[in-house]
Amino acid sequence: MNHFPEAWGRPRNDVYGAYDHSYLQTSGPKAHTSSPAVTGTSVVGVKFNGGVAIATDNLASYGSLARFSDVKRLRNFGDKAMVGFGGDVSDMQYLDRLLDSMDIKENYSHHGNMLNAKNLHTYLAKVFYKRRSEFNPLWNHVLVAGFDGQGEPFLSSADLLGTTFSAPHLATGFGAHLAVPILRRKFPEGTPLEQVSKEDAVEALKECLKVLFYRDARSADKYSIAVITKDGIDLKEDEQIQGQSWAFAERIRGYGAQTA
Amino acid sequence: MVEYAVKAVENGGTAVGIRCKDGVVLAVEKIITSKLLKPGANKRIATVDRHVGIVSAGLVPDGRHFVSRARDEASSWRSTYKGPIPTSAIANRLGGYVQAYTLYSSVRPFGVTAIVGGWDTEAELPVDGQVGNGPKSGSGGKVEGAKAGGPGLYMIEPSGLYWGYYGAATGKGRQAAKAELEKLDLSSGNLSLADGVKEAARIIYVAHEDSKDKEFELEMTWISSVDGPTKGRHEEVPKEILEEAEKAAKRALEGDDEEEEDKGEGEQMEE
Amino acid sequence: MFRNNYDNDAVTFSPQGRIFQVEYAQEAVKQGSVVVGLVNKTHAVLVGLKRNAEELSSYQKKIIEIDSHMAIAIAGLASDARVLSNFMKQQSLGSKMTYGRPIPLDRIVAQIGDRAQTNTQHYGKRPYGVGLLVAGVDEAGPHLFEFQPSGLTHEMVACAIGARSQMARTYLERNLDKFQDCSRDELIQHGLSALKETLSQDKELTIDNTSVGVVGVTNGKKESFKLYEGQDTAALLEVLEQRESAGAEGESMEVDS
Repeated sequence: MNHFPEAWGRPRNDVYGAYDHSYLQTSGPKAHTSSPAVTGTSVVGVKFNGGVAIATDNLASYGSLARFSDVKRLRNFGDKAMVGFGGDVSDMQYLDRLLDSMDIKENYSHHGNMLNAKNLHTYLAKVFYKRRSEFNPLWNHVLVAGFDGQGEPFLSSADLLGTTFSAPHLATGFGAHLAVPILRRKFPEGTPLEQVSKEDAVEALKECLKVLFYRDARSADKYSIAVITKDGIDLKEDEQIQGQSWAFAERIRGYGAQTA
Repeated sequence: MVEYAVKAVENGGTAVGIRCKDGVVLAVEKIITSKLLKPGANKRIATVDRHVGIVSAGLVPDGRHFVSRARDEASSWRSTYKGPIPTSAIANRLGGYVQAYTLYSSVRPFGVTAIVGGWDTEAELPVDGQVGNGPKSGSGGKVEGAKAGGPGLYMIEPSGLYWGYYGAATGKGRQAAKAELEKLDLSSGNLSLADGVKEAARIIYVAHEDSKDKEFELEMTWISSVDGPTKGRHEEVPKEILEEAEKAAKRALEGDDEEEEDKGEGEQMEE
Repeated sequence: MFRNNYDNDAVTFSPQGRIFQVEYAQEAVKQGSVVVGLVNKTHAVLVGLKRNAEELSSYQKKIIEIDSHMAIAIAGLASDARVLSNFMKQQSLGSKMTYGRPIPLDRIVAQIGDRAQTNTQHYGKRPYGVGLLVAGVDEAGPHLFEFQPSGLTHEMVACAIGARSQMARTYLERNLDKFQDCSRDELIQHGLSALKETLSQDKELTIDNTSVGVVGVTNGKKESFKLYEGQDTAALLEVLEQRESAGAEGESMEVDS
């Protein structure tokens, strides 16, 4: 066997076209991550009377390939807050370790001065903004859920640019397009938080996840959901979307039984 | 110079550590130097990472420096290995650090002897940042039923010298405390954490006998196994258990005095 | 000039295990004019006695605001205190910036403690020649800390440092039980009374030499740090005078009965 790969030949130019050398630029400006690799899709969160509920599915995709089917994208910060991660999974792991080291430092002394979800969100947004200003962004869009300094339910988002946004219900990624309209219909603007029960919030999240599974090709039907109340965090990581009906797909060209 | 630094240690409040079969206890005698000190504040036992505790005798600010280095070591270990530092490793690194302060004329040695206690987890922890599990079947390198982890207790002296201990004591009352620790037969590994807490409290009270005129506060922390009361974390001993142990310690001390007086009576009763 | 062979620098232990340079630094604190601090369940109060170098000069500042939730009172070298207070201001601002949280008191006190410790272990450095009282509120309520040149820090319920501060401490120890549940204004008065104890016969508390700082939290609402100086202290001193005369009467009556 010839051990010189360059002598093995390459896909024929007349069949596959000339090799695109733009992928192997050695000159030009230094570039950091300019696209994510292994990604998680939407995160959905809803505030309710006395807490916050937040959910993600358990999938990490490699491009369009459903690569890892058991990935926990809801990460806890001590027993105070949850962070739901969309976007790059390795950047999520980096941030998770960052949060872990912060939690360790917070617990050196325990005199009732713990960082709450709002402090955490402020901090994460600063991290994102710093990294994007260095042209080396952390490729995520996160939701932070928990309580603020006044003990009120807190839900806010931060993205890879350091943009922050807050609302009684939020969703990232595909969910920003598909879940938010559903949530806005369920909980119209101006609905007082007192009128949204925990059960309503959880039910709404489940419905959103189902719709997302129907329409988002990068989603899965295994999901995690966390309900954060004053009593603590109730995290379920191995849930299954119930009551699916794919009957409508029969009539969609490309999905159904049609052959032409 | 190192010998003089040891002198600084010899005057600090007594500190003890006991390595039990299912955890480690740390205790320290805090002499109350002023009525104006806030009771219950001013902790002397520090948490490093989540699973290690350090108590020291000697110059308190040096002790804080020591702890701050320990925290840095634990955190740098995590950033390299994505998991908690073993107690033996942190003792080793701190021993090296303290020793370095004996080498140069530009620094002075640490005026502390520190007791480092920790619990290396026996459970299989996820790597920091781990997001899930692979398939249940397929290749893998796990050894079924392998046992790992357990309690660790080390004492580091101003020279940088350190040993592993079953029971360690330092500070002013160390002689009395050591004598009491030796009675416990710790090397057989039978003492439970719950009993260890009581013994540690009693030993601090015994060691305090020589400076009885001064009031003191007892501070105690513990680290249990993963299925124990602290779930492998270094935490303060809960108030109720601490108070119970203090009561028992006081009773034991009074008992000692009475025993001698009541001896004759006791023998008669047995007949 | 030197007490013995072991006090030339801060990196030398004496055979007894002492570090004389640090002890000398503690002397500098004792020469500074007195400051008193005290806390109860809702407030932390600092009071200080200002000194002027000469009749016509201005008075040296004794209380420095670090942030809206915290201040320090100083005894000793004011220039060393400025180094520490600048550091504290930076840290405090940093915490507000990155976390949106006022820095917890025990954190910042530990930080200056660690800095001071470094100065006692490295050749070519000298210990800070200043003692501080750090008072403020955080999520856990009001706090008072004492900081010493050795790097020792203690959380206190009340404290006094500086020249003749023992008299103030004696007052504070005697009245310890009265602080805990008293009102904000009473706490200030206790502070002033303690301060007054330290004065030598020919001295008095005046609006020129008295500084008062208060910070607190009532029913979960934070009351930002407020510094009373000059004319602002007049009302406080007036109350003190009334209390003292009333107190004197009260005491004599007790004696009668």
